[in-house]
Amino acid sequence: MELVSLRNVGFTYAYGDKPALTDISLTIEPGLLYGVVGLNASGKSTLCSVIRGIIPHFHHGELTGEVRIMGKDLLDWDPAELSKSIGYVFQNPFTQISGVKETVFEEIALGLENLGIEREEMIERVTVVVRELGLEALIRKNPNELSGGQRQKVAFASIIAMDADFIIIDEPTSQLDPDASEAVFGIIRQLKERGKSIILVEHKIDLMAEYADRIIVMKGGQVVMEGPARDVLVSDGLGDAGVPYPEVTELAFALARAGKPLSSVPITRAEAAQLVSDRIKEAPHAHSAL
Amino acid sequence: MGSSTVHELDQDFINSFRSPATAGNRIRDLNPISFAIIMLSCSVTAIALPGPAGPAAICLLFAVLSVAAGLAKTFLPLYGKLFAVVGLILFVLRAAFLPGNHILWTVGPISISAEGIIQGLNFSLVVMAVCGAVTFFFAVTPMKNLMLALEQRGVTPRATYIILASFQAITDLGKNTKVVMDAQKSRGIETEGGMVRRTTAFLPILAPVFLAAMSQTEERALALDARAFNSRNRHSHLVSLRPVSSAEIIVVCAVALGAVLSIVGAVFIWN
Ligand SMILES: Nc1ncnc2c1ncn2[C@@H]1O[C@H](COP(=O)(O)OP(=O)(O)OP(=O)(O)O)[C@@H](O)[C@H]1O
Ligand SMILES: [Mg+2]
Repeated sequence: MELVSLRNVGFTYAYGDKPALTDISLTIEPGLLYGVVGLNASGKSTLCSVIRGIIPHFHHGELTGEVRIMGKDLLDWDPAELSKSIGYVFQNPFTQISGVKETVFEEIALGLENLGIEREEMIERVTVVVRELGLEALIRKNPNELSGGQRQKVAFASIIAMDADFIIIDEPTSQLDPDASEAVFGIIRQLKERGKSIILVEHKIDLMAEYADRIIVMKGGQVVMEGPARDVLVSDGLGDAGVPYPEVTELAFALARAGKPLSSVPITRAEAAQLVSDRIKEAPHAHSAL
Repeated sequence: MGSSTVHELDQDFINSFRSPATAGNRIRDLNPISFAIIMLSCSVTAIALPGPAGPAAICLLFAVLSVAAGLAKTFLPLYGKLFAVVGLILFVLRAAFLPGNHILWTVGPISISAEGIIQGLNFSLVVMAVCGAVTFFFAVTPMKNLMLALEQRGVTPRATYIILASFQAITDLGKNTKVVMDAQKSRGIETEGGMVRRTTAFLPILAPVFLAAMSQTEERALALDARAFNSRNRHSHLVSLRPVSSAEIIVVCAVALGAVLSIVGAVFIWN
């Protein structure tokens, strides 16, 4: 059964002058990582909020069309049940600290307390995410006194610890340095390997190419493309939506324009390395190959 | 692994959650509900006992307890200030305006009587005892322990959250006011000077501060929702409180009995 299905969905925020989403039809299958790309204000976060039921349960406005989550109409869902079934890491790290816990360790444990997890398991699970994200030095700190990047890591850790089977992650690395971003993507990869369903909004297209199974391209509140990452990332539609191509894909395009196309268009560095090395090997004279 | 320093996990801190929270002090480790009953009983006793010696003894008791709890440094100066400001004002007002037969001395239209002094002393000491009970309670009891104790007694997490968040909001309001004040100052708006100027400078600050507080409430609600705060299953707790010992129950009962006896005394013996 499909995880989420949207049919002709539109949404206008209560005080918005124009629709944030228009006529979106989309199916999300379980066990895959969907990457969402698009320019600022194209509606990525709004789409996430609809899929998680924040719209219309929290953010008010006019929602049209039909949204079904795990086979059940969004409007029939109890918001409390949705919050248990779907993890959601918000885009803004400053609004995700509960404000009621005195240490980062307790802050991360809050979600587990609310799920009614027993203490020993709670400590175990919090400790694991703390290690994975390198938060060891922060666990005794007051969550209200963290930097933007630290907050973002804590917010991410808090949701990951809850271990929902379906997780929506909106720009998890916008405030992070390269090491921390790598740690976050390391965890996302593990989640994927464990069969979780993931929707990930991320501007870093090279990372998307690496991790996403399918890509959703948004422009002006519409989904202009949805398909396997391999197809979408080399398509014209991506460029039309104003989204950059992966670095190696650009390179392959440049080679094609120069009349020396690679045998296929790569989207990841590993593929590109393979293709280039194949080319060098098969060429009779190495110096004339490229 | 990057170039950043790798930190050791603070295992002692993590292990501290495996056993009941303790402040390493008998008084501070009392269950918050027990302690609330004790402080309430003390207040009742102070009101019922004949003054001024009765309430004065209770005030003194708080001072002694604060030393025993290892909180003298924070509690005594605060309590002293309360005495110096609130206690003194109440005393002076009562003493100065209560009519009596034994006039001690007269200053202009005000004549001070012996009865006035006794009454003033009684009244202000009773108020100080009640203030002392509340102040000492919050000096001893961390807010989160109180909330935890309430939840264990069946108060819903939602209700305790509202209490906790309200206290937090008061602190935040203070902090935000300062931030906005600084912002206004940096834009050249006068925020210092005489009363009038300061008041007029303060008015435009209120709007952004309250708006910020309100939007924060909404954001917090969302942040909590993301953590399944509204789920209806039983919530568990990372932190645990020590189980209430029978000795503790005996102490609480004894103090409560003391309060009841002092009421009986007030009704039948000394009033
Ligand atoms: N709470 C809100 N109230 C009114 N309008 C909103 C609200 N949130 C978003 N919008 C509007 O909805 C549109 C889509 O916003 P959305 O946040 O979904 O974009 P996004 O693709 O996530 O952008 P970004 O890359 O900047 O995160 C924008 O035009 C925005 O102005
Ligand atoms: Mg967004």
